[in-house]
Amino acid sequence: MSNTYYLPQANEVELFEVAASMNLPLLIKGPTGCGKTRFVEYMGDKLKRDVYTVVCHDDLSAADLIGRHLIDENGTYWQDGPLTKAVRNGGICYLDEIIEARKDTTVILHSLADYRRVLPIDRTGEMIQAHPDFMLVVSYNPGYQNLLKGMKPSTKQRFISLSFDYPHAGVEKEIIIKESGVNADIAQRLTTIADEIRQLDDNDIQEAVSTRLLVYAGKLISKGFNPYDACMHSIVESLSDEREVLEVLERLVQLHFIQKN
Amino acid sequence: MLQYLEFEESIGKVWDRFLNNKVNTSYEDARVYFTDKEKSLKVFYHLLGGEKAKELQVTDKRFIDTSRSMIEKISGKGNHFYLTWQDEKGVYLPSSLAIFTTKEENEMLYFWLIAMCTRINNFQGNILSKNFHASQELIQTYPGFKHFYTHALKNLIEVNEKLSFIKNLNTENLLNDTSTLSNIDNYPFIMWVYPPLSSHGRYSEFNDEEEPLRNGDEKETQTLQMKKQANQIDDSKETDGLLAFLPEAMMSILEQVNVDRSEDDSFDEDALYNAQDLDEITLGQKKANLSSRLKMDLDLTVNAHEEYPIGKGKYLDEWDYKKESYLKNYVCIRPHLITNVEPMQLSAHLKKMLKKIQNELDLMELDRIKNNRLPYGDEINLDTWIDYKSNKNKAAHHQKFYESFVKKTRDMSTLILADVSLSTEAGITQEVRVIDLIKDGLIVFSEALERLEDRFAIYSFSSLKNTNVRFEIIKNFKEKYSAYTRGRIDAMKPGYYTRMGAAIRESSKILTMQQTQNKLLLIISDGKPNDVDRYDGRYGIEDTKKAITECKKLGITPFCITIDVESKEYMPYLFGKNGYALVRNSKKLPSVLPEIYMNLTK
Repeated sequence: MSNTYYLPQANEVELFEVAASMNLPLLIKGPTGCGKTRFVEYMGDKLKRDVYTVVCHDDLSAADLIGRHLIDENGTYWQDGPLTKAVRNGGICYLDEIIEARKDTTVILHSLADYRRVLPIDRTGEMIQAHPDFMLVVSYNPGYQNLLKGMKPSTKQRFISLSFDYPHAGVEKEIIIKESGVNADIAQRLTTIADEIRQLDDNDIQEAVSTRLLVYAGKLISKGFNPYDACMHSIVESLSDEREVLEVLERLVQLHFIQKN
Repeated sequence: MLQYLEFEESIGKVWDRFLNNKVNTSYEDARVYFTDKEKSLKVFYHLLGGEKAKELQVTDKRFIDTSRSMIEKISGKGNHFYLTWQDEKGVYLPSSLAIFTTKEENEMLYFWLIAMCTRINNFQGNILSKNFHASQELIQTYPGFKHFYTHALKNLIEVNEKLSFIKNLNTENLLNDTSTLSNIDNYPFIMWVYPPLSSHGRYSEFNDEEEPLRNGDEKETQTLQMKKQANQIDDSKETDGLLAFLPEAMMSILEQVNVDRSEDDSFDEDALYNAQDLDEITLGQKKANLSSRLKMDLDLTVNAHEEYPIGKGKYLDEWDYKKESYLKNYVCIRPHLITNVEPMQLSAHLKKMLKKIQNELDLMELDRIKNNRLPYGDEINLDTWIDYKSNKNKAAHHQKFYESFVKKTRDMSTLILADVSLSTEAGITQEVRVIDLIKDGLIVFSEALERLEDRFAIYSFSSLKNTNVRFEIIKNFKEKYSAYTRGRIDAMKPGYYTRMGAAIRESSKILTMQQTQNKLLLIISDGKPNDVDRYDGRYGIEDTKKAITECKKLGITPFCITIDVESKEYMPYLFGKNGYALVRNSKKLPSVLPEIYMNLTK
C-alpha cells in the first residue's frame, strides 16, 4: 500500500504501469495543480521505484541533469546528476515543466527516450546503458500561448502522451474531503465554485482554479477559518489582480458561503 | 408676455415634481448604474455558464397595462416598466436600479437578474413557471441568493401589494392552472426575466437576412446603444421618398424617424437624437439605392499625402480550392510608400497608455541570462574550471572560464501586418473609428518593441480585386523607428477589401529574408478575408488558410489579433486554436497589443 494519496480519474494508472514495464517514456500534459506531480509520486510508490524530480527552468543546463565534477581535499571527483542516478540505479526521472528548459538541454534526452536507452556523458567519456527499471517521465502545461517555448516535435514524438484535466466534480469532492478533512457539504460547495470559475475563458481570467487551491481552501476551513474568508484567501486572491474580476469572484463566494460579520 | 410664459412653465415644473414624488418609489441615493457594473456583470454571466457570444445591453421601457391609481394615471406613470429580457443575441437589463434602500441590494439585484438569465434558456412560453423554477433553483443552489431573495420579496410586496400573487405561486398551482397564470397580466415583477420586447408577432414575417458587403452599417447601429422596440413595417414596395408616411402619426406618439439602416449613408445626428426619445422605432425594409452602394467603389479616397508606388507591382499565386491548384501569377500586389509625412510626436493619451505598460516592459528588460564559457567576464564559472582541472589533457581543453549575465536578447523578427480595409472606417463611438484604434495600437506597440530592442517592421494592406492589392510600407526592418514612422502610421487610411492571402504571402517573403532564428508574423484584423470578386466566403478562407500553411512551412510563426467577435467561426480553422487572440473590447486594442506580444515571447 502506497503512502501517497491519489485518486485515479481514468486509465492513467494502467497506462503508466504498462509504459513502465515496456520501457516507454511518458509525457503528461495538464493545467497547473491538477495532480501531475502527485500522480508520478504515487506511481513511484506503487511500482517501488525511486522518483528523481527535476523542476526545469530556463537556466537549467545539461550538467544539472547529467552531473558535474566537484572538488574535495583529494582533488576533483565526478558527481552524478539526478538523471544519471536514475539511469544507473533504476528509478523514475521526472522532469517537471519541461517546456521551461531550453531546447538544447532537452536534446540530451533523445538517446534515452528511444529504443537505444543510453546516456552519453561527454565529460567523462562514459556511455551508460539504462537500468531496466529506469523510466523517463516529463510534464508540461500546454495552456500558455508562447512562441519561443514549446517542445521540439522531435522531442515530443519520443513519448507516450497522457492528458490530464481537473478531476470530475465527484472525484474532486472526494479528493478535497480526503486531503483537507472538511465535510461533504463544504467540499460540494467548493467543487461547485470551481466548476463555475472554470467556465470562464482566458479573456476573463488567465487560468482557472486548480484542485490544489481547493484543497488549500478546505484545509483553512477544517482548521476553523470561516468558509468565506478561506475562499477569499485561497481561491479569489490567487486567481486575478483585476478589480472587476475579483469583485465578481468575491460575489460568487458570497453566494455560496454567507459572510459572517 | 414672456414673463407669463415663464410663469406657466415654472408652475408646470412644480406640478411635475409633486406628481413624481407621489408616484416614485425609487431611492435615488441608492441608485446603481449598469454602465458602472457592466464588466463585472459580464464576467459573472460567464461564471454562471452564460453564452460567451451574448452581449449585455440596456433595455428600453416596455408598456404593460396594469390597473393604475388615479394619481399614476394623471402623471402618466405606472404603465411602462424597465424589465429584464433576453434573446439569441443578448441580455437586456435596466440602465439603472433604485428599487431598494441600499446600494448593495440594488447591486445584488443586477447579479440576481444575470443569474436568472443563465437559468432561463428559451424565451417564449410560460414565463410565470419559468421564472418561478429559475428562482427556486437559484435559491437552492446559492445560500447568498436565498437570503437576498426572501428579503427583497418581502420589501417589494410591502411597497406594492399587487405583487402578492408571487407569494402564492407554487409548483402545484403552476401545473394545474396554466391558463390564468400564464398571461402577462400580472403586475410586472422586477426580479424576473421577460420575453423579448419586439415579439408582437410581426417580427418573424420579415426576411431578416442582412445584405452582405455593407461595411458602413455599423456606424448607425452602434451609436444607438439603447435597445428599442423594433416595430418593423413593410415599406419595401414603396416607390420613392425616404419617409414612409403614416397619417395618424401626426397626433400620436408613434413616429417614424429615418434611421433606415440599409438606407442611410450619412450620419444623421438628429435622427439618432430623436430615436432615443421615441418609444418605438420603425424599421423600413427598403433596399439601398444603387447609387449609394456604388459610391463605395467609386469614391476614391482623396489623399493629402503623396504616395509612391514602388515598382509596377509583383505577381503572386493564389490558391483555388475548387481546382485544388494554384492560379499562377493571379494576384498583383503593389507596394506603396507614403512620402511627405510630417514627423509626429506622441500624443498625451498615448504617453499615458505607455506609462501603464511600463512596469511590464521593465520586467521584460530585466530578464537576463547567464552566458557561459567566456574568455573574460564578471565571474569565474567553477564548473568550467573544475572540468579543466579534472581533464587529463589540459592542452586540449579550452580556457574560457568566465561567465557573465547578459540581457536576454530574443533572436526574433516581427512583421506586423495591419488590415486597413473599409470596415476599419466603422465607428466604435462617435469620435473613434476602428482605424484610429489600430493606429494607436501600432504606435504603442512600436514604442514597446523599440524599448525591448526587438527587430520589427510594419506593413498594411487592402485590396480591390486581384489586380490591385495595396501593400503599404510603414516601416521596414532596416529603417529606424522615428517620429516619421509615427507620421506614416498616422497617415494610414482605410482602403477597400481584405485579400488576406496575398498580403500574408508577401509578408512571408519579407520575413524569410531576415536572419533571425524566430520569425513572427503578427496580423491585426477586424474581419474575415473578403474581396469584391470571388474572394469571398469559402474561397477567401481557403486561400488564406493555404497562405498560412505556406508561411508555417517557411519557419514563420503566424499569429492573428482580431477584434471581430464572430471570429470564432473561422479563426481556429485559419490559425489554429492557439494561433489567434480575440480582443472583445476593441477600445482596449492599443493597450492589449503589447501585452499579447510580451506573453507570446516571454
